[in-house]
Amino acid sequence: MTRPPDLIYAVEDAPPRAIMALSALQHVAIMAITLIFPIILARDAKLTGDAFLDLVSLSMLGLGVATVTLSLRSQFIGSGYLCPAAYTAIYLGPSLFALQKGGLALVFGMTVVAGLVQIAVAPMLRRLRALLPSEIAGLVIAIVGLTLAGLGIRYSLGIVDQEQINLDYLSVSGISLTTMIVLNIWSKSYGKMFCVLIGMLVGYAASAAVGIFDLSSVLPPEGVSLFRVPHLSHVGFSFDWLLFAPFAVAALAATLRVMGDVSNAQRLNDSDWVRPKFSSLAGGVAANGIAIIFCGLVGSFGVNSYSSSIGLSGATGVTSRSVGYAIGIAFAVLAFFPYAAVVLAAMPPPVMGASLFFTAAFVLTSGLQMTTARMLDARKNVVIGFSFAAAVAADIYHNALMAVPIVLQPIFGNSLVLGTTSAVLLNLIMRIGVRQRVSMKLEPGDINREALERFLSEQGARWAARRDVMSRAIFGAVQVCEVIGEPPGGVEIQASFDEFNLDIRMRYAGVPLVIPERRPTPREIVASGDGERLLGGYLLRQSADRITCRTSGDSVEVHLHYQH
Amino acid sequence: MNASVLTIGQIRAGNVCIMTLAGRIDSTNANDVQGELTRLFGSGEKSVVLDLGAVLYLTSAAFRVLLVASDEAERNAAKLVLCSVAGHVRDLFEMGGLTEVFTIHNSRDDALKQFA
Repeated sequence: MTRPPDLIYAVEDAPPRAIMALSALQHVAIMAITLIFPIILARDAKLTGDAFLDLVSLSMLGLGVATVTLSLRSQFIGSGYLCPAAYTAIYLGPSLFALQKGGLALVFGMTVVAGLVQIAVAPMLRRLRALLPSEIAGLVIAIVGLTLAGLGIRYSLGIVDQEQINLDYLSVSGISLTTMIVLNIWSKSYGKMFCVLIGMLVGYAASAAVGIFDLSSVLPPEGVSLFRVPHLSHVGFSFDWLLFAPFAVAALAATLRVMGDVSNAQRLNDSDWVRPKFSSLAGGVAANGIAIIFCGLVGSFGVNSYSSSIGLSGATGVTSRSVGYAIGIAFAVLAFFPYAAVVLAAMPPPVMGASLFFTAAFVLTSGLQMTTARMLDARKNVVIGFSFAAAVAADIYHNALMAVPIVLQPIFGNSLVLGTTSAVLLNLIMRIGVRQRVSMKLEPGDINREALERFLSEQGARWAARRDVMSRAIFGAVQVCEVIGEPPGGVEIQASFDEFNLDIRMRYAGVPLVIPERRPTPREIVASGDGERLLGGYLLRQSADRITCRTSGDSVEVHLHYQH
Repeated sequence: MNASVLTIGQIRAGNVCIMTLAGRIDSTNANDVQGELTRLFGSGEKSVVLDLGAVLYLTSAAFRVLLVASDEAERNAAKLVLCSVAGHVRDLFEMGGLTEVFTIHNSRDDALKQFA
């Protein structure tokens, strides 16, 4: 693992307490935006007064517990990275349906079941890794970024039912977003680290100035006490098989999101990142399952990892896992202060919008970088392009797509789930006919380097191999041809690939390749063709991860191995 | 157009001749590069910048040509500098221990400043 130079505090670092506290507060502020989902549930359940505040307070406690479990570093539970949690729209459809069918008890009971599904799936992830190669993980992250950006614009412009822009909202979100951007790009250290928090505070002040920060909308008429232990009086449990499928599908969708988010967190902490580490993904998914069970047991809502927070940690350069524990403590404390629930629940929409839009930029670009680091051929273009379009269509034609049966609504009603499901299925279909081992022959008298290069390039795109590795392999194969010259029987080339290895075997009849351990001097290289060949052999030794040359009689096999 | 086919371009910036190479340089076309550089030094050019920014990769044959050209520049009291050596091409220079042998600048502008 190589630490990226722009990180201020990496995953294993422990920032000073003041910085840790402010970083945690910044995450708390953007995570609190997602309290909107349990609040929607509470309002639809007609909870009022203390029962309403209990649900919001316990939801804050749920966010704290979920963030700690997701960030934990242990063998089976936790991703090991700063991975804050959030309530997610993925569970909104199934939860509201459960509320209609059997009240809050059924919502909480089925939420626990969804957590159990995630825990059951976690150990199987390694075996399913072919379903989520790096380019699709990148697509998932990019879709999440796009969704967050869309939500951010909606909140920023005050677009609710009618497609009209609210100018007050626009001015507040503009001021808030500009503050975040200026601090993030043109300031150093503290300004960059706390750009979102400062931008949100500026947004709160601007909202108060234009009269859209309205505490009374969530403040009970009887007022709230300063300190209160939240009660579980609204909690009960029931189960209905009819609801199993939608909650299980939602749990699988949440699993995909954890995988995308944890992959992104891994990448932020490692400039040499090439593919997801599955032990960390499995730990993250198991942790998410435990967190969902906790949320169900305390009478809250389905929780998931939070892409915005991962984007925030990338933007600010603070990815320390310790911040995750601080977030947990902060939410645990805030759960006992109802006024905190009121202030966070009354967050002005344009402030939410500016924060979501800002962090979405970092999530989106991170996903695009992961995808474009791979070579993509027509098959992969279909997989990535169609799935991205399906995700966009799910947002544009949401109402039409929600006409599908309830069991399919978690798929068609959510852009992330539809895009990911489409990518996984299309990827499986497009694998048909793609061979993992291919060969070609360069005929004697016509050692055509261009044909060799084209063959390997096309194959690399079919395999969605990493561009950098494929470039080294093409150089290696051409350099071998240069050194061996024109063998009488031509050269047979065989290339094989799996996600972890790229191997090229070149067979010919003639003199074995010389692979010197010592670098030839410039004088030796200029002096004769032998010097040039020595340099060729030496470059091959250096550029491949392993090179061997075996002879059998007159036949020679050069084996170039590249770790992928 | 095949991006890997070598193309050689030339422009002037005052007294400096900038030679741009694009594509793949291997034993099939290294002599073209050598021929062009020999012609430049033979015609009295004293300041040559070789821009490798669009080169995909170069093999040992290309490195030999560059070393020969460097010697030739020295014999003609001329100066040859390289610029825009990045990514995989830079890796190859480093693997071959050739970053010390040539004068290499990050950008064309940096290279031109040397001749200002």
